[in-house]
Amino acid sequence: MRLDNLKSSKYSNMRSSVVNSFFALVFSLVLGAVFIWVTGYSPFETYKAIFGLSFSTIKGFALTLSQATPLMFTGIAFALAYKVKMINTGAEGQLYAGAMAAALVGAYVTNLPGIVHIPLALLVAFIAGGIIAGLVAIARVYTGASEIILTLMLNNVIILFTSYLANGPLKPEGSGVGQTERIADSARLMRLVPQTQLTIALLIVIAVAIIIQFMLDRTVFGYELKVTGNNRRAAEVAGINVSKISILTFALSGAIAGMGGAAMVLGVNYRFIEGFSSGYGFAGISIAALAAYSPFGVIPAAFLIGILRAGTITLSRTTSIPIEFVDVIQVLVIIFVAAPTMIRQILNIFKRITGKKKKNEIAGGEVQ
Amino acid sequence: MIDFDTGLVISILASTLRRTVPLLLAATGGAFSMRSGVIDLGLEGMMLAGSFFSVMGAWMTGSPWIGLLFGVVFGIIFSMLHAVMHINYKVNGSISGMAVNLLAAAMTPLLLTIVYGLSGKSEIVTSFSNFDPEWLMGIPFLGPILGSQNVIFFIAMALVIISWIFMFKTTLGLRMRMVGENPHAASAVGLNVKAYKYFGVAMSGALAGLGGAYLSLGQMGMFVKDMTAGRGYIAVVINAFGRYNPFGALAGSAFFGFFDALQTIFQSVFPSQLVMMTPYVVTILVIVFGLKGGRSPAGTGKHVEE
Amino acid sequence: MEKITKIYPGTVALDKVDFFLNDGEILSLLGENGAGKSTLMKILYGLTDPTSGEVYYHGEKINFRRPVDAIEKGICMVHQHFMLVPAFTVTENIIAGSEPGKNGFVDMRRARKEVRDLISQFKFNIDPDTKVENLSVGEQQRVEILKVLYRKADVIILDEPTAVLTPQEVDDLFVILRRLRAEGKSIIIITHKLKETIALADRVMILRDGKLIRDDVDPSKVSTNQLSEMMVGREVDLQERRPAKNIGDVSLHVKGLTVEEDGKKKVNNVSFDVKAGEILGIAGVEGNGQTQLIEALTGMRRVDSMELLLNGEKITGTSDRFLRAGIAHVPEDRLSMGLVKEMSIKENMILGYHREDDCCDRRGVLKRKEINDKGNRLKDQFLVKAPNVDAKIDELSGGNQQKVVIARAFSHNPKAIIIAHPTRGVDIGAMEYIHQQMIELRDKGAAILLISADLDEVKTLSDRLLIMFEGEIVSETMPGELTDIEMGLLMTGGHSMIEEE
Repeated sequence: MRLDNLKSSKYSNMRSSVVNSFFALVFSLVLGAVFIWVTGYSPFETYKAIFGLSFSTIKGFALTLSQATPLMFTGIAFALAYKVKMINTGAEGQLYAGAMAAALVGAYVTNLPGIVHIPLALLVAFIAGGIIAGLVAIARVYTGASEIILTLMLNNVIILFTSYLANGPLKPEGSGVGQTERIADSARLMRLVPQTQLTIALLIVIAVAIIIQFMLDRTVFGYELKVTGNNRRAAEVAGINVSKISILTFALSGAIAGMGGAAMVLGVNYRFIEGFSSGYGFAGISIAALAAYSPFGVIPAAFLIGILRAGTITLSRTTSIPIEFVDVIQVLVIIFVAAPTMIRQILNIFKRITGKKKKNEIAGGEVQ
Repeated sequence: MIDFDTGLVISILASTLRRTVPLLLAATGGAFSMRSGVIDLGLEGMMLAGSFFSVMGAWMTGSPWIGLLFGVVFGIIFSMLHAVMHINYKVNGSISGMAVNLLAAAMTPLLLTIVYGLSGKSEIVTSFSNFDPEWLMGIPFLGPILGSQNVIFFIAMALVIISWIFMFKTTLGLRMRMVGENPHAASAVGLNVKAYKYFGVAMSGALAGLGGAYLSLGQMGMFVKDMTAGRGYIAVVINAFGRYNPFGALAGSAFFGFFDALQTIFQSVFPSQLVMMTPYVVTILVIVFGLKGGRSPAGTGKHVEE
Repeated sequence: MEKITKIYPGTVALDKVDFFLNDGEILSLLGENGAGKSTLMKILYGLTDPTSGEVYYHGEKINFRRPVDAIEKGICMVHQHFMLVPAFTVTENIIAGSEPGKNGFVDMRRARKEVRDLISQFKFNIDPDTKVENLSVGEQQRVEILKVLYRKADVIILDEPTAVLTPQEVDDLFVILRRLRAEGKSIIIITHKLKETIALADRVMILRDGKLIRDDVDPSKVSTNQLSEMMVGREVDLQERRPAKNIGDVSLHVKGLTVEEDGKKKVNNVSFDVKAGEILGIAGVEGNGQTQLIEALTGMRRVDSMELLLNGEKITGTSDRFLRAGIAHVPEDRLSMGLVKEMSIKENMILGYHREDDCCDRRGVLKRKEINDKGNRLKDQFLVKAPNVDAKIDELSGGNQQKVVIARAFSHNPKAIIIAHPTRGVDIGAMEYIHQQMIELRDKGAAILLISADLDEVKTLSDRLLIMFEGEIVSETMPGELTDIEMGLLMTGGHSMIEEE
């Protein structure tokens, strides 16, 4: 029987999500430590190296933030799509598409002041990512095709195609690697901290997070989006056009991922470089999961994962511990977040063990 | 001139068969999974696991056969993540499948470094030699084609037939399909729905693992980072259009395998990246425009309440 | 010989009910929705346990833990919602779980032979190799029965077997059941259909509100009226009726509505009018086309063969169009169709109306303060019991959830409103309140269409009363013209209002 006077507010959901994410991260780090130890390395050394960097110097902190920036883009992208119960595994490809688009605008459209050039490049990237995701969503809505497989296939297609362009027609003279022409100075993103990779892209993505969160919480579109994602049938009864909402949302998701690619091109590499993304697209899934799929929550989540990823630099420099452990930990986060009941069960086991231990101290028996 | 043409045809067909095998095994595995009502999105990860661990097994023991066994076993182990998350914790099958893929993709480079101290690829091990006894090579046309396959090819063919017989001719196969179609009805006649689903997922892991093992151990004798390159996803699509049965998987895999084999010809004419794109583009076209693949088992993704 | 004696279940659903079944008889277990018939049979079949009481079979005490145990003993159930695999053939469906064969292989030849023998023995007339999805509903039911016979059932329980059959198929089924009885099987039919009970059963047992009323009724000696009285027989509830005073012109006009699904006409050429300021009630047992009717009237289903006029204006299109035109909707199932349980009261309060001026401004931004105020206002006005408007819907009781739906639909000045099963799963207090609100809305001039399976509700509220059976309107009266018994008859298939006593 339901009680009408449960003490609950609109924050209880958020609270339980935060708790879930917190423990998911903790369990992932613990399980990661176990794995590190089992394979013969020292978890202590590992985590010391990883976490040491971010908080010791300003440059280290800036490095973490700059690592986190592209993650925020892809994290928001995945979280947004998930709000309508669609899975955008195509962030990686959308990233590349956006990057290429921005690189082309940045290099070949000239004589524009920075204040126009940069937004233009971002816009083109936005459109590129948006069109790709939009087409996938249309296919999904009208033919039932799986957006997961479509986006994954497209990832390969886009990455290969841009690689072709970067190694072929768009390759600058005398260049050894696959890349495009340098972008004009007017298209460069300003650095926030000199001699680091941290640019105003960070501010841009935070603004995007705020805008998307605002859209979700305060606009009609966001409202219809959430209803569609939570209860499609009720949305239909209420006159909401669920097809349109799904397609637009998914397209927007891809557009944001595209912007992430632009941020890398305009702020870090100043050109499109083959293979520039170290898995930012898929890392976005971990971030979104950790953020409990809240665009605003992506900011701190990306920061946390950014610490891990930036930490791999120190890890490789000061130890011989393989940096790929961090990738595994990221996946563990996704797994733990996805199964809240599993987390609860583990916590219960802990409670029982620690509870029993206090009682059985005298008995000295083994506790299972 | 005639000799040259036949030689080319033989070489393409032989190459087709080689490229068909991994897809075929993974797709057949996917058929088991789907037929028991569990979505087969995790094939890529299971395949990748099979690829890596088969080479590791062969490297540790010196025997390619033990390596194969490793591939199968670890394929099953990775599939269990999907099984537990989805069947026990009721996580959405697509998410748990992707979790397997992501985990394998994260773990295999890590293990490369840990096990071999190398990054990007493993040590080389003895792989399987071609199955080319005198009498086989003597058969015109067919002989050289089959003769340039290794023993795993024949195992795969046998497995396709055995799988088909299992699914459609045996008691357990019928019951598994019932679980996939209508778990409530299956439960009502006393079947253990969870057990059959676990079985389906385990078989998908085993076969995908074997397919991955063929890719690495069977063909090159080594593992290269991201070796499967999306074949697992293509296998998902093949399975859907092969109507979730092993012979359909054979037809679909052969189609893709043939296309794949043609790549080597076009590689010299077109830029390599564009050529490499073709299987993915074809897959996309198949999903979007192909006639709706056979209806998936009606009970896919459904659970029975306790 | 007695097969089963003395079941004493003591749950709230069943109150010390004694039940027995004889060899070779057809027993009809009669009662209204919720009388306890399904529960009693579930205990027999092993799907649930009695709180107290015992079950004996052939003199032996039994305690089935799972349906499989019951099946092994020869007690089998044919469910109302078939447990078949459409993609399998008849034979495969029948043998799955008990396949003939050895070494793990299925001996299909033997299976086919055994199935064929069964089919001819009972003259079922089905091809064992066709896929079940290609069979008619009546034929599918026969496959379910074959499943049961294949496992050598001696006691067969049928749950509402005629609910999904056409009259011809019902006759065919009766022939089969009589044949089975001749072979010595015992059959229990759970039903609420009176004419069929009289036509088929050897004995009738009646449950009402969990209590055994009679277990020895001889159908050859009673009329449907008498059965109805025993089934329904509560005191006529003197609920005060408040007839409409201000009935205006025709507001909602429906003509020629037909809905076809799976080859069957779920709604068959239905026409009616609802006037402003009146409540038109449609009574009927669930599953007689009401869902499809509602879908057509709210834009959820596109129906070509219907003319729908609201105050003279033709309405077609999507559900959005219907809502904007002023046709409000209280859906059948509040949780799956009317509310988003993860969202708060105030968020649900604007669902369907969220684009209107009081909720959002021109740029598409929601007016938070106004929505909050509106939520509070409606919550108070409609007495929704919750700590505040931010509480999530799934924290509320069923009655309060429904109040949210009602508040939303009623407060937007609808011209017409389609209300479906408004008090299903709702406590008494909320029920009274909702009825009150409906009367008030009616008196303000709205045209209200009430669809409900609750006879009392329909009787009390309606100004005019239609009865729907198998997709057709079978009667149109003023409330009070027909007795409860007569209404029950019409709802379950009795055709004439004049019955031989």
